[in-house]
Amino acid sequence: MNDVLIMGAGLAGLTAAWQAALRGKKVQIAAKGWGTTHWHAGCVDVLGYHPVDASTAVDNPRTALTQLIADQPQHPYALAGLDQIEEALTALQTLCAEAGYPLHGSLDKNWQLPTAVGSMRPTCLAPSTMIAGDLTQKESPMLLIGFEDYRDFYPSLAADNLRQLGIDATGAKIRLATIEDANFMTPIKLAQLMDSDPNLRLQLARAIQAKLGDAKRVGLPAILGVRHSIAIHKELEERLGVPVFEIPSLPPSVPGIRLHHILFTAIQQAGGRVYDGMEGIGSHKEGNVITAVLTEAAGRTRTQRAHTYVLATGGILGGGIVTKPDSTAREVVFDLPLEVPGKQHEWFRREFLNKDGHPIYDVGVQVNEAFQPVQGENGTAVALYQNLYAIGNTLAHSEAIRQRAYEGVALVTGYKVGKEC
Amino acid sequence: MSTERPIWEANTDVTAHPHLAVELTLDNCIKCNICVTACPVTAVTDLFPGPKYEAPQAGRFRNEKQESPDYSVDYCSGCRACNMACPTGVRIAEINARARANMVEDGGIKGLTRLRNNAIARTELVGKLGQPVAPLANWALNIKPARWIADKVFGIAPEAPFPPFTSQKFSNWLKKRENPLIAERKVVYFHGCSTEYYEPRVGKAVVNVLERNGFEVLIPPQNCCGLPLLSNGEFSSAQQLYESNIEKLVPYVKQGYVIVGTSTSCTLTLIEEAPEMLEYSSDDAALIQANTYDFNDFIMQLFYAGELDLNDLKDVPLTLVYHMPCQYKAHRIGRPGTELLELIPALNVVESESVCCGMAGTYGYKSEKYQIAMDVGKSLFELVGNVDGPVVICESETCRWHITKATDTPSVHPVELLAAAYGFPVEGKLAELGF
Repeated sequence: MNDVLIMGAGLAGLTAAWQAALRGKKVQIAAKGWGTTHWHAGCVDVLGYHPVDASTAVDNPRTALTQLIADQPQHPYALAGLDQIEEALTALQTLCAEAGYPLHGSLDKNWQLPTAVGSMRPTCLAPSTMIAGDLTQKESPMLLIGFEDYRDFYPSLAADNLRQLGIDATGAKIRLATIEDANFMTPIKLAQLMDSDPNLRLQLARAIQAKLGDAKRVGLPAILGVRHSIAIHKELEERLGVPVFEIPSLPPSVPGIRLHHILFTAIQQAGGRVYDGMEGIGSHKEGNVITAVLTEAAGRTRTQRAHTYVLATGGILGGGIVTKPDSTAREVVFDLPLEVPGKQHEWFRREFLNKDGHPIYDVGVQVNEAFQPVQGENGTAVALYQNLYAIGNTLAHSEAIRQRAYEGVALVTGYKVGKEC
Repeated sequence: MSTERPIWEANTDVTAHPHLAVELTLDNCIKCNICVTACPVTAVTDLFPGPKYEAPQAGRFRNEKQESPDYSVDYCSGCRACNMACPTGVRIAEINARARANMVEDGGIKGLTRLRNNAIARTELVGKLGQPVAPLANWALNIKPARWIADKVFGIAPEAPFPPFTSQKFSNWLKKRENPLIAERKVVYFHGCSTEYYEPRVGKAVVNVLERNGFEVLIPPQNCCGLPLLSNGEFSSAQQLYESNIEKLVPYVKQGYVIVGTSTSCTLTLIEEAPEMLEYSSDDAALIQANTYDFNDFIMQLFYAGELDLNDLKDVPLTLVYHMPCQYKAHRIGRPGTELLELIPALNVVESESVCCGMAGTYGYKSEKYQIAMDVGKSLFELVGNVDGPVVICESETCRWHITKATDTPSVHPVELLAAAYGFPVEGKLAELGF
C-alpha cells in the first residue's frame, strides 16, 4: 500500500510527490491527464498584482506578500506563511540548478518579462533562457524574431504592443526551411528538432544574424530545445554576440514541459510513481477517515488505498471542480463542501475580461493551516478527514490567475503538504 | 463500504450499459495541444499532424454520409498515448479508429492495401494456415524474394518481424499434458493467437504459475479478440470475432470464474475497446468486460490479498529492460508488470520510459509505416542496447517481436520470469541461461 496517494499531476501534485518521496514515503500520483505544467509559461509567478486591480505590477514580492497576508488571512499564502513561501522557492531553485536548468530570481524583485503579444508579465522565478527579456532593463533596441509559416508567434504584433509601453522593439520574420518544408510545425516539435539537429541551430543563428542590425537583444518564441535548452541558448548568444531571450507562447508550453521533466525525474529518482490516464472519480470514507479513492480504469472502477490522500486536481480549469446547470458545484474525488456564489446567472459578469473576474472562479476547497479541508472559513478549524490534504488551485480564497500567483500557490502549498503530510 | 469479493470470483451482478458515442467527447477538447506533445508518431513523421488535429478538429468534418476530409488519420497507430495525456477526457484514439473504419467503409482504403490490411489483421487465419506447415511456412516467410514480393505487391514491410510458427500449438500441448490440477478455485485463461500459434511457452508458464497457486486453469475454445481488425477499420469482421468470444467465454463467467490474459491488447479489447468502438452493448458483453483481467494484475491482486505463494523462489540474477506496452498502459491500472517483477528475487529491472515501441499491433508491418515504427521505438532500442541484458521483458507479442528484431535481443513475458523463479522449466533464451 502507498503511504501517500496524490490526485493530480500539475505543479502542486508534482511538488508534493517530490517532497514526500524525498522523505522516504511511498508515493503515487494518479492523474486524469498531464497537468498545467504544460499550459503555463515555465516560470514561477508568486505575486504579480496586489490588490488584483492595482494599476502597476508588483516590483518586490516580499513586501506585497506581507501586505497580502495581512489583507487576506484565508489566502493559501497566509495559511502557509512567508517563510514557507521562501523555502519552497529555494527548494525548486536548488532542484532546477542541480538539473542544469537554473531558475533565477528571488522574493526581492519580480522580473517584468514580455508576453507573446507584447504585454508585460511580472514573475518571480524565470529560467536563464528568458531573463534577458526583462523590460526594466534598458538594452535597446530589442529585436523580436518569428518564423514564416509558423502560427504560434507574431513578432510585429508583440513589437507594436511593446512600443506602446515605451520599449524600443521591432519585429522580423525569418525563413527556416525546416519549418517551411513541414506540413505542420508545433512549438514542441520545433524544440525537439533544436535538441537533435545542430544544423538547424546554425541556420537559426545565421538567419537572425542577417536581421540583427543594431539590436542589443533578441527575443524569440520559447523553442530552444526541450532537453538541452541551456546549451542551445548559450550557443545562440555566442553566435549572435547579443543577449537572447525566449518568450513563452501558446500551449503546449516548452518551458513548462522542461519543469515537468525535472520534477518528474526527481519523483522517480526518489522512488515515487506517476500514473496518468487514471482519473479520480470518487472515494470511500469511514467517519473522519478516507479509506480509498476510486479511479476510472478500462471497463471497471479501481479501488486504491493509501495512508494519506492529497487532493491536487485543480479548480474549474483543472477539472477538480465541476459545475452543474442546477447551480451547484462538486469537488469530483472527495465531494468536499463548496460554497457557490448564488445561482448560475450570478456566476459570470457580462464582460469576458471583466477586471473583477467571474464570481464562480472563487469556488474552492476551504482548508485550515495544515491544508486539511474543513467546513467553513476558519484557519484553525478541525479537519473534516484526518488523512486528507488539499493543495494548489483547488483551494478557495486564492485569485491566482488575476493575482498572477498561479504557480506560486501550487508550488508553496504542494511543498508544505509534501513535507508534512 | 461493500465487502470485497476475492479477485478470482466473478462479479455476475452486472448488466448491459449503453455506450455513449466516443465522438461526443470531442467537445471536451480545449485545444491545449498536450496530446500533440504526447504523440510518438507525430514526433517522428510529418505524415501525421497530431492527435488534436485529427479527432477533435478534423473530427468535426467527418460524417458518415460525407467523404473523409483527409486520410492522415490512417497514420494514427492507436497507441493511446494521447488519451492518457489528455486532461479533459477526449477519447482521441477511439475517435481516430472509428474515423478509419468510416474511411474503409467509404472505400478510402481499397484494393491491395485493404487486402494487405485484412491479411495481416487475421492473425488467427494466418496461424491456422501457417502453423500446421510450420517448417515450410517459417522458411517461406523469411526468404528474401518472398518478402520482396510481399513488399512490392502488398506493402508488407520486408524488414518487419514474422516470428516462427511453433511446431506444437499451445492447445495441443494442453491436450497431451498429464495430471492437470483439478481444484475448487478455477480461472479461465485467454491465451490469444500468439500463445497458440507462435509462443506457447508463455501459456505454459501461465498454467504452471496458476496451478502452483492452487488454481485449476480452464482453457475453453476461443478465437482472435478482433483487435487487429478493429485497428484496420474492419469493424464488421471484428464484431463477428468479438461476439463469438462472448458466446464461448460467458458461460464460464456465469459459473463465477474470471478470465485472465497475458496479451495486454487482447484483454483491453475484451474489457473496453471492442464494446466501445463497436458501440456494442449486451448483458453478456458487460459480464466479459467486468470479469476479464490482465494476468499480472490478477497475480498482484492475489499478492495484495496475501494469496500468492512466494515460498522458495529462486534468484533470477539478471539486469533486464522492461518495456510496458502502450496498450497495457491504456488499461489505466498502474504498472502491475513492474510490481510483479519486483517480487522476483535478485532480478534488476530497468524500466523503459518510452511511450511506445512503435509497432502498435499491425502498424509496423506496413511498408509505408515500418520506418515510423522504427523511429518511434528508437529510444527503447537504445536503452535495450545500453543495458545489454540477455533478454528484454514486454507483455505484448508484436511489441516483443519488434523489439527483438530491432535489437537482436530475445524477449519474454514477465510470467516466464516468474515461472523461472518458481523453478518451472522454461523455454527459449531463459532455458539457455540455465533457468
